[in-house]
Amino acid sequence: MLHLVTFSVRQALEGLWRNRVMSLAATVTMVMMLLLLSSLVIVLSGMQAGLSFVESKVEVRVELAEGVAQDRVDSLTAQLRSLPEVSDVIYVSKEQALADFTQQRIADGQPDLTDYIRNPFPNQMSVKLRDPRVSDQVMSVLDAERGPVVANVVEKQKDIDKLVSVTATLRTVGVAVLALVGLTVLLIVVNSIRMAVMSRSQEIEIMRLVGASDHFVRWPFIVEGLLVGLLGAAVTLTLLLLASGPISEVAKVIAGQVPVGFSQSLTFQVTSMVLIAGLGLGGVGAWISVRAYLRNAT
Amino acid sequence: MSDAASTGAARTPGMLLGAAPHRTAVLEPPGLPRDPSMSPGPTTRYQGPALMPPMPPLGPLLLAIRMDEVTKVYPNGKHAVEDIDLVVPEGDFVFLVGPSGAGKSTLIKLLVCDEEATTGTLEVAGHDLGTIKRGEIPKLRRQIGIVFQDFRLLPRKTVRENVAFALEVTGANRKQTRTTVDRLLGLVGLTGQADQRPGQLSGGEMQRAAIARAMVHDPRLVIADEPTGNLDPLISWEIIQLLLRINEMGTTVLMATHNAEVVTALRKRVVALEAGRIVRDEVGGYHRDYA
Repeated sequence: MLHLVTFSVRQALEGLWRNRVMSLAATVTMVMMLLLLSSLVIVLSGMQAGLSFVESKVEVRVELAEGVAQDRVDSLTAQLRSLPEVSDVIYVSKEQALADFTQQRIADGQPDLTDYIRNPFPNQMSVKLRDPRVSDQVMSVLDAERGPVVANVVEKQKDIDKLVSVTATLRTVGVAVLALVGLTVLLIVVNSIRMAVMSRSQEIEIMRLVGASDHFVRWPFIVEGLLVGLLGAAVTLTLLLLASGPISEVAKVIAGQVPVGFSQSLTFQVTSMVLIAGLGLGGVGAWISVRAYLRNAT
Repeated sequence: MSDAASTGAARTPGMLLGAAPHRTAVLEPPGLPRDPSMSPGPTTRYQGPALMPPMPPLGPLLLAIRMDEVTKVYPNGKHAVEDIDLVVPEGDFVFLVGPSGAGKSTLIKLLVCDEEATTGTLEVAGHDLGTIKRGEIPKLRRQIGIVFQDFRLLPRKTVRENVAFALEVTGANRKQTRTTVDRLLGLVGLTGQADQRPGQLSGGEMQRAAIARAMVHDPRLVIADEPTGNLDPLISWEIIQLLLRINEMGTTVLMATHNAEVVTALRKRVVALEAGRIVRDEVGGYHRDYA
């Protein structure tokens, strides 16, 4: 068993070197494919994180008309609370809204200008939704009260819909492109291993004649495919490691407080996916190639 | 040129003489001519060694090869061999002769499981090739040493590496490989050329290296397909001497050849094929004896 392993690794390294141009081509395409895979995973997970962050902040903000009687406000609040799609309704007075705004500006390090202006905020109601995408009943209740009570409804739903559809499209297109590139890589690995097999056909014939078991014929080539995958994964991960700092910076600048970047779980996820995809494609490609050859030559 | 085979023997006499024949049923002293009167009519099949002793009490007669009505039809419809009955007891030395295309190569391919017989039963070294499992084929091939006209040595490896390769790919450990390879290089007289590559060797030396490789698993049967086809007469004799020595050590040898001079001189068993059928099976020369 140990003998088979050392024999296979030795033969595989020899084969990689003997066929180095083809091995290089296989490794480079493998790296391209793995980079595509990992950037897709990173971008999608970033968008997913952004999406759930935005969704958690989603609410329907209701701006109330000036001088509405408190009992009208209370009855609207009760009506909204009774809806199954609403989790909570919070009343925010215009003084409170201004105070929140001021606080925000101070937190952002900007000058407090509230002394110079009249409070521009109306009294408001913040309606928290259970599912940010379901707000039909809320909207119909608010529409009924529009005018005397409700001055304006600010809904962020449209923006979210856009983000969701962009994410979904990106995922579909990404997976399709990834599948095509993956297939290309597989074919290149198959071809590269086939050439390795051909260049060693004399050796294989002698091995069969002297009674080498199929394992000794097959495994050197499968190991060769696995090595191409491993090499591709290693190069890809090195490139990602070098790029991870700048990417995180850019992500922070673009997304602000949205937590995008290389979290620990994302790093683990990307590393394992790259390794599995590389080794899998290399091993499967080699296996297909060797199997086809051995079946032809009894 | 010196007789390198005997030089090799002189270097390791104890090794050769000490190598006990591992067969229990060597039924005839090798090289002993049989009584010609026992040779039956021209088309009668070989019926076993002429000096057949009573059945040995310690078990059945060991056969290296038993073919019973074996026919091979290729997918293109060509009947390569037809209705072959052939029994080779262990320890025999048999020449397989016949014109090109008579079916010698097909017969050899059938014996080493490179082709499957269309009909008939075929046993080699105790394995029934009709029912043999795919995983068992390598084990069978380790009991058969094969030698070709074109040597089939790996050009990038030295003589020693070529011989060792056959052990390496069957999972032998290094120490075992080293001693076996040294012993066999001594047997074939190539100890001095062990570190040369095939390109630096003469044809006879390459064939001796190939024979050493064929012997690495201590096979019960050596099949030589035109081993002297590329060699001049003097060197051919050296190779034949080597195969005879291997036979004397107890290994069955089946040699396909066109070398009429060798076959006629040795007076061994000759199986002649023509158009896929055995037309003669008797002790004698390359051509039919009319004595």
